[in-house]
Amino acid sequence: MKILTERMEAHRTDSHTIERYEATGGYSALRKGFEIGPEAVTAEVKASNIRGRGGANFPAGVKWGFLAPARPAYLVINADESEPGTFKDRQLLERDPHQLVEGVVLSSYALGVNHAFIYIRGEYPKPARRVQHAVDEAYAKGYLGKDILGSGFDLDVTVHLGGGAYICGEESALLNSLEGRRGEPRIKPPFPAVEGLYSKPTIVNNVETISNVPWIVSNGGIAYASIGPDTSAGTRLISLSGHINKPGNYEIVMGMTWRDLIYDIGGGIPGGRELKAWIPGGSSAPWFVPAEHLDTPATIDDVNDLGSMMGSGAVIVMDETTDVVAAAHRIVRFYSHESCGQCTPCREGTTWLERIFNRLLNGQGRMADIDLLIDVSDGISPGLTWPPAMTTICPLGPSATAPVVSIMKYFRDEVEARVVSGIPVALEAADG
Amino acid sequence: MADLVTITVDGVAMQGKAGEVLIKVAEDNGNFIPRFCWHPRMKPVGMCRMCLVEVVGPRGRMLVPSCTTTINEGMEVDTQSAVVKKAQEGVLEYLLINHPLDCPVCDKGGECPLQDHTVAYGPGESRFVEEKRHFEKPIPISELVLLDRERCILCARCTRFSDEISGDPLIEFKDRGNAVQVITFPGEPFSSYFSGNTVQICPVGALTAKPYRFKARPWDLEAVESVSMVDSIGSKVSVQSSQNEVVRIDGIDNDATNHGWLSDKDRFVFESIHSADRITTPLIKEEGQFREATWGEALDLVAERLTSFPGAQVAGLGGANSTNEEAYTFGKFLRTIVVTPHIDAQLDDGLDPQFLVGVTPRAAIPDLETAKTILLWAADLKEEYPVLYLRVRRAAAELGANLIVVHPRATGLDDVATHKVRYRPGTGPEVLRELTGDDADYTEIREALAAGPVVGIVGRTGLGEDPRLAEAVAAFVRDFSEGKIMPLARRGNVVGALDMGLAPTLLPGRVSESAAHDVLESEWGPLPEGLGRNATSILEGLRDGELRALIMLGTDPVRDHAEPELAAAGLDGAEFVVAMDQFITDSVAAADVVFPVAGFAEVEGTVTNIEGRVQKVNRLVPSPGQTRATWSVLDDLARRMDGNLGATAAAAIAKEITGVAPAYHGVTWDALDWGDGREGLLLPLAEGVQHLEYIPVDGQLASVDARYGLHLGRVLYDDGVRVRMSPSLAALRPEGAVFLNAAALDALGLAPGSPAVVEGASGRVELPVAVDNSLGDGTVYVPANLESTRSLGAAVAVTVSPGGDA
Amino acid sequence: MKPATLSEAEMDAISDWSESSQQLVRELLGKYPDKRSAVMPLLYVSMIENGYVTAEGMKSVAVLTGLTGAQVQSVASFYSMYKREELGKYLVSVCTSISCFLLGADDVLAAIEDETGVPDGETGHDGTFTVEHVECNGACGGAPVVLVNYEMVEGVTAEKARELVKWLRDGGPDVVGTEEMQQLFGGAKSFDWAVREPEGAVLPVPAFAPYGSARGVK
Ligand SMILES: Cc1cc2nc3c(=O)[nH]c(=O)nc-3n(C[C@H](O)[C@H](O)[C@H](O)COP(=O)(O)O)c2cc1C
Ligand code: SF4
Ligand code: SF4
Ligand code: FES
Ligand code: FES
Repeated sequence: MKILTERMEAHRTDSHTIERYEATGGYSALRKGFEIGPEAVTAEVKASNIRGRGGANFPAGVKWGFLAPARPAYLVINADESEPGTFKDRQLLERDPHQLVEGVVLSSYALGVNHAFIYIRGEYPKPARRVQHAVDEAYAKGYLGKDILGSGFDLDVTVHLGGGAYICGEESALLNSLEGRRGEPRIKPPFPAVEGLYSKPTIVNNVETISNVPWIVSNGGIAYASIGPDTSAGTRLISLSGHINKPGNYEIVMGMTWRDLIYDIGGGIPGGRELKAWIPGGSSAPWFVPAEHLDTPATIDDVNDLGSMMGSGAVIVMDETTDVVAAAHRIVRFYSHESCGQCTPCREGTTWLERIFNRLLNGQGRMADIDLLIDVSDGISPGLTWPPAMTTICPLGPSATAPVVSIMKYFRDEVEARVVSGIPVALEAADG
Repeated sequence: MADLVTITVDGVAMQGKAGEVLIKVAEDNGNFIPRFCWHPRMKPVGMCRMCLVEVVGPRGRMLVPSCTTTINEGMEVDTQSAVVKKAQEGVLEYLLINHPLDCPVCDKGGECPLQDHTVAYGPGESRFVEEKRHFEKPIPISELVLLDRERCILCARCTRFSDEISGDPLIEFKDRGNAVQVITFPGEPFSSYFSGNTVQICPVGALTAKPYRFKARPWDLEAVESVSMVDSIGSKVSVQSSQNEVVRIDGIDNDATNHGWLSDKDRFVFESIHSADRITTPLIKEEGQFREATWGEALDLVAERLTSFPGAQVAGLGGANSTNEEAYTFGKFLRTIVVTPHIDAQLDDGLDPQFLVGVTPRAAIPDLETAKTILLWAADLKEEYPVLYLRVRRAAAELGANLIVVHPRATGLDDVATHKVRYRPGTGPEVLRELTGDDADYTEIREALAAGPVVGIVGRTGLGEDPRLAEAVAAFVRDFSEGKIMPLARRGNVVGALDMGLAPTLLPGRVSESAAHDVLESEWGPLPEGLGRNATSILEGLRDGELRALIMLGTDPVRDHAEPELAAAGLDGAEFVVAMDQFITDSVAAADVVFPVAGFAEVEGTVTNIEGRVQKVNRLVPSPGQTRATWSVLDDLARRMDGNLGATAAAAIAKEITGVAPAYHGVTWDALDWGDGREGLLLPLAEGVQHLEYIPVDGQLASVDARYGLHLGRVLYDDGVRVRMSPSLAALRPEGAVFLNAAALDALGLAPGSPAVVEGASGRVELPVAVDNSLGDGTVYVPANLESTRSLGAAVAVTVSPGGDA
Repeated sequence: MKPATLSEAEMDAISDWSESSQQLVRELLGKYPDKRSAVMPLLYVSMIENGYVTAEGMKSVAVLTGLTGAQVQSVASFYSMYKREELGKYLVSVCTSISCFLLGADDVLAAIEDETGVPDGETGHDGTFTVEHVECNGACGGAPVVLVNYEMVEGVTAEKARELVKWLRDGGPDVVGTEEMQQLFGGAKSFDWAVREPEGAVLPVPAFAPYGSARGVK
């Protein structure tokens, strides 16, 4: 079952053009939308039970329902995709930008929005070019601008390029950034749906979420809801990366096990090596290990119940040769580098974690550092529970604790050995 | 009144107003939650995470910042749980990671929330073994402020203050994550009129003020509450001294006036108190030179000379920088000992005295919190009334009031104004008629004014502006729904001085001379008959020989009167001039005898601000040398002139005022020090009466027709004596210039920087020209009262021509 | 969305910018309901003009958006892509985040440092290369990943990375195209790129036509 990638797979060379898009039924959902009216479009999205694909998995229809009545209101598409392991939105932007644009027009129409923004991460010039081109084409064809298709509905779309800051993926930071400010997350409440861009009601949705809207309107929300498990409806893009034979994006129906995903879809581990661990939903997610998780279902709720998350659908696979201390360091370093710096625990704590790891990697670790790593993590995410408690404004800080907790939970002996010998266990094994 | 909400904090039930944040409600009820970034006058940002508490909810306990969490009915809060303690310890440990711990050499040491919180809530020791973050040690970020980034805990109070409160975001965060620092932009120093506030609210010693740096340790400081007398807003301050020297002034939070904020002039003017140029002994002029004299000698001489003139040939100027008690004694001395009606506290640079003290309905500063529309047709508040500027800025930017600014040039509030009207000085009456009429240009403004409550802030936009225009504007505003008027005049206690009768048309207690003459005679004894002269007429009288002697109390007509030549001629023409002052100003230099008197922080008394709010100023340090309190000098003088003022102590004078001055009935020092009056008493009180209820009228002024209209506007750091005597502020005085728009420069064939001559009926200057494109056609702006501009009097109609050899 | 008209003061602030950049400024200011929103795109335009984000550039952006210099600096310094020092002709960014790290990104970085002679985070003396490590570029399926002036090559090995450096140094292409580099030096990709497009970067500024650094614009 393919929804998002059907066109691009069938039409390798031109799925991004308006000609191909129109020739394959594109913008017909829009016509239907204008026929059935905005309330009906909203109703279809609600009925679809689609959950946001940006990481938080919040039901899109419910979020739309929170949009405050004040106008102007805005729709902002989150194309800041920067969570390590995640590269699905890039494919949607490059290969089927009109699908997104049509979704944007439909969603804006449903929400009563006349100006939408697509915030694309700065390191994505090519996707931005494709999207801008699609937007230009849509204007030229009357799918954007004034009185779209004679419906009386007006919509402008601004494509905005970020400046290189992962935190701008967090929706309120993104809005600050779009306002020309530092990308610092805002205190919530108020939520963007009430006070968002320019303090006006704003819906922020992920690229993938909105790219599904044309299909949902064409085929009906019920049809979408009937795909896959009840609480993980529809298809979703999974990004496979790391030590895996067939990395890439896969549009799947949720519900298969991790074994299916890693070994069938992903083709298993290169060189027939052993699977050591994987991250089920982007680098922010606590790790899974084969002994405990390989045969559990990859659905939003199952993963959550087992103490991690599907997040943005990024699966990062680590084989037996992985130096888990170095891998955890790499992830911690990412969060320390990307902390916006507002909250004391995140600004200071993530950097402290990184520096302790640096010592461990340099062979200057002390046994006390193991407890210190845990305790500093605890100061950012008290109790180190799942879902994480936070001493911070946004979940970025706590995200940095996921790898720490994971290696201490599953590989503590390796960490201790690392302190003692200063040499990665994986290397020791290779030498020995 | 907002609804009350009941919550439970650590088992104790307490109430707060709906919409208030937890940290405030807890604090108001005696439960102090530690904090760094939260400040009650700024929007919460929840950044430092020091104030985390647990809220017990249906889904269990949740750790939340108490500074961003608004209270809900029935909310249950735990500020003491193990989780909270751990979080607090964590935050402190994180903050100390990069803190230099140089407390022994830090100005903040001893009054530092970081230090205090670490003792109270912190971890025992740091487990951080890595290298700390390093920055260049204190760097000057303006003429007044130094920044030590190593000490900074990134609470963003300073950056938020300058963005949210003062509207000049010159200090900002830079970089991201662990590299974040607070800093200015190259070539754009933190030269804000309000920079000192950031020093005051910085929770650590990262921002320090040059005038205070290393002056004292907090535990050596003595402090009193007082009121800033730099302008007439009545900002509440804490005056602090070390070893009998005032070393610091901080703002004190209060709802009524300054919200705790001060201008840098309010804050750093204390330097003048201990200036080496203070007069510390009486001076007698002999052969054109002052010589030091004893008090007895000087008093005898003055008594003898003053007695030698008929009372009506003597005049008194000044008192607007004195306390009410001093002003009252000065008035009583003039009216009953000298027996003269020629008294003026203003120098024709303010407003009609009856209008100023008696206008009704009068707006109080807190009315700005509820005003829907504010019409500001007065001085550039940022330059003349900086703290009021902050309040109006808040009303417009934060509270959503419509702000209409009418002024000859761009003002500090233009960026938050909903409507701006610019006009050529002299044409104000025309603009007002268009506004009140049905001129289509002003339809939107009229619509805005239709939304009440309306506050009209009126005063002279510049020194040349006819004061009657302000009254005409007031008459216009008064007609709008809930229209109230705030008339502005500048000197620290000008309203108090007028309330004490220091104007020809007024007697003590907000009563008119004519109405209260007989009543007051029953208290004071015989009073001079007939209305006296105002300042201009006094100076003319002295110049023309109709008046022969002058007594000045803390006033400098040569610099401050609109016609400097007239002022000089008046002093020159007087046969005898006595001055009571702290410095030898240009005017004091013309005196025959000078009495050194005590000033701010050296005397106790009351002052009355622009709203008519009476507050207490207090004594903290002894006055230098042989200086004496003004009232005691006058009392001594009176005795030598066979009279008796009964001025035995400031407190005794205050008691007398309460009895004699109708609007001051009920104003007691007890109430001000300990009672309801701690935030000031807004007159008249229930016990008081305001006999004078002045209804402003539009006198249908004619516009002044001239090719160029002069806008002679004040700047905050001008050549006023207290700025001159405060080295830190004196250094900030701007250069004088003649400002015109670019088109006018072209028309005159002038390039920026080349000399231009401005000449009017009261004087002339030649100065470099500069471009100010906010000026309309025919408007020329010259900053008032700078060394280089003072020769230009305040005429509106002027000529402008190329200077130099051109 | 109509291009904005600039006031005299605003034009003054960018009087030394190229005409095409001035036109971009007008267009960008017209794209947002509030001109402050244009800060980020305008900073890119200033980089096109000055090579990197200079104090003068920030000042110009401040005038255009009604901000203070400190405010613009605060925004610019928050984001990694607003470079504050002169860059080489080619900005070579190596992703060393987790997925790329797992597949040898550190070796790729080392090879590039070695081949260019430019250490991580620095610019070579001859002004050809700036080398930096960066965090995840959204191409983890094609790890390790290298960007040249933000144009991507996926599936790079240490050897290929050396060849890429040599090609840049010796060929010195004016336009850096992602497709060409991928063909010459790339390997596994995150997904099928499907079709070649002609555009590429002419500067170390993202080649997004509305901001200007694409083929044909400058
Ligand atoms: C640190 C952080 C980074 C995030 N990054 C992204 C991102 O790159 N892309 C994205 O769509 N959502 C991201 N999110 C989630 C957004 O905040 C937001 O929930 C999402 O864009 C909403 O869209 P959706 O409901 O369609 O998923 C991030 C959240 C956090 C806390
Ligand atoms: S948790 Fe980190 S990234 Fe999130 S707001 Fe706080 S400092 Fe910024
Ligand atoms: S300088 Fe002071 S007020 Fe400003 S952020 Fe640092 S600690 Fe806070
Ligand atoms: S005081 Fe609440 S987070 Fe700083
Ligand atoms: S980790 Fe390198 S591109 Fe994602």
